[in-house]
Amino acid sequence: MDFLAEGFRRALALLFSGDAEVYGIALLTLKIGVIATVLACGLGIPLGFVLATRAFWGRRAALTVVNTALAFPTVVLGLLLYGLLSRRGPLGVVGWLYTWQAIALGDLLLALPIAAALAAAAVQGVDPRVRRTAETLGAGRWRTAWTVAREARFALAAVITTAFGHVVAEIGSAMTVGGNIRGQTRTLTTAVALYTSQGDFGLALALGLILLLLALLVNVALQALQGRGHA
Amino acid sequence: MLELVGVRHEYDGRVVLQLERFAVPPGTAIAVVGPNGSGKSTLLRLLALLERPTQGRVLLDGAVVTASRAARRRVTLVEQRPILFRATARENIEFGLQVRGVGRAEVNRRVENVAARLGITPLLGRRRHELSDGEVQRLAVARALAVEPDVLLLDEPASSADRAAAHTLYRVLAEERARRPLAVCLASHQLEDAYRWADDVRALADGQLSPVTPENLFRVELIAAGSGDLKHACVGTVEIVAMTDKTGPAILAVPATDIFVSREPLASSARNTFQGRVTGLTRRRPGGGAVHVTADVGVELIAVVTEEAVRELALAPGSPVVFSFKASAVRVF
Repeated sequence: MDFLAEGFRRALALLFSGDAEVYGIALLTLKIGVIATVLACGLGIPLGFVLATRAFWGRRAALTVVNTALAFPTVVLGLLLYGLLSRRGPLGVVGWLYTWQAIALGDLLLALPIAAALAAAAVQGVDPRVRRTAETLGAGRWRTAWTVAREARFALAAVITTAFGHVVAEIGSAMTVGGNIRGQTRTLTTAVALYTSQGDFGLALALGLILLLLALLVNVALQALQGRGHA
Repeated sequence: MLELVGVRHEYDGRVVLQLERFAVPPGTAIAVVGPNGSGKSTLLRLLALLERPTQGRVLLDGAVVTASRAARRRVTLVEQRPILFRATARENIEFGLQVRGVGRAEVNRRVENVAARLGITPLLGRRRHELSDGEVQRLAVARALAVEPDVLLLDEPASSADRAAAHTLYRVLAEERARRPLAVCLASHQLEDAYRWADDVRALADGQLSPVTPENLFRVELIAAGSGDLKHACVGTVEIVAMTDKTGPAILAVPATDIFVSREPLASSARNTFQGRVTGLTRRRPGGGAVHVTADVGVELIAVVTEEAVRELALAPGSPVVFSFKASAVRVF
């Protein structure tokens, strides 16, 4: 137990000392997390709306694909992405391998099905009378979708929180396509894995606490955005 | 004019509505009556362009329409259990006006006006969880009236309303129709209101327009009663005897003109004799003609008698009455 207490002490000391490396890693994680979450939700939530509200050929198959993608192993995702981004791969010309952009792309691909599947479930959970009422009162497609989204706003906020949580906690893909390069592609999760394996438990714990703090801050921010939550 | 032509609508392969033609001419007031599950709500949703019929066409002013926004803006539906958006009552009424781009001053004027007419002004600041079912229903009607549609479709609009609120609703609808050419199509199980209020009463049974008058229409389970074609069916708290070779699920219709009305039970061949009290007298045209006598005899039944019969039997709301009809008068579908 002593090493655990020592780890916490070290963590707090690092957090309050303003360690440049620690904060650099945290800021990079936040940057990648925000970009990947914004893109994933920007694409995934409308996709979820379409899957939940539109009848089209192949809709059931599309839902199955999206739901299956929820359980896609991140290491396998990283491996596939590595193949695509490596010099010999079809996207090798972009030159993203071992950059933060590659990590963001992996996180986007991870969070996209989460956003789509959970948004579809959130929209399907809205009383169908809301949609019918908006339509019969003359609302067009976008206004109707906005009205349904307003009714589902708590569930949609949970979609964003969940997507962000998955993105910042992801390690398999980030390690494979990011390479865990100090000062360039080292994120909180890859750093935690590295320092734990090196026996620097205090630093690993400090980074873990920052990860938790980030998740907490995002949740608080989203709750504030939802307003007071009137029925 | 809003019309359904050659419409057949299915849910999961089950036919729920089949109509050769159903028209709502401009400025008319139509009541659609029928038992639960007869297709009334489906009919209104098709008319409101919220669902596309499996087969057939919806015409607006003679032209085939789909679910276009322009067409929808001329037809508004108030569902049987309406829902308010997550907003104040005022914001709910404003919704349809805002999507039409109506200016703020005009929005305020229309909201205040319709709220005052329906007596809901004190509710405007409330949110949906602070409102009763009846208040939600009145707000939903206000929300629909505010957008001034050409056709207003109402699904059981007074089902959660008390007598006074229902009276206010029908008065406001009458005033609105007097003010402008508004067509109203209303689904109701309250025949008395339908007859008092509508120009035209149509009956639906099992998704089809019923060939008989819409009074006294019941969905029943016919049970064989001994030998022969006499069958029994429980309706409300009474048991109706019908002459039919059918058994099992069926629709019973008791033609209002085949019911004998008396103050005391008659010695007759009628297999069905029920005692109760008059709950209402409805005259389609004041000063003469047929009178619809509604009575609670364990179930609500309507009989048609002459004005003279009403006078001779001294029929009035609350007075005792006996309804009798033969088993062979009962129509079975």
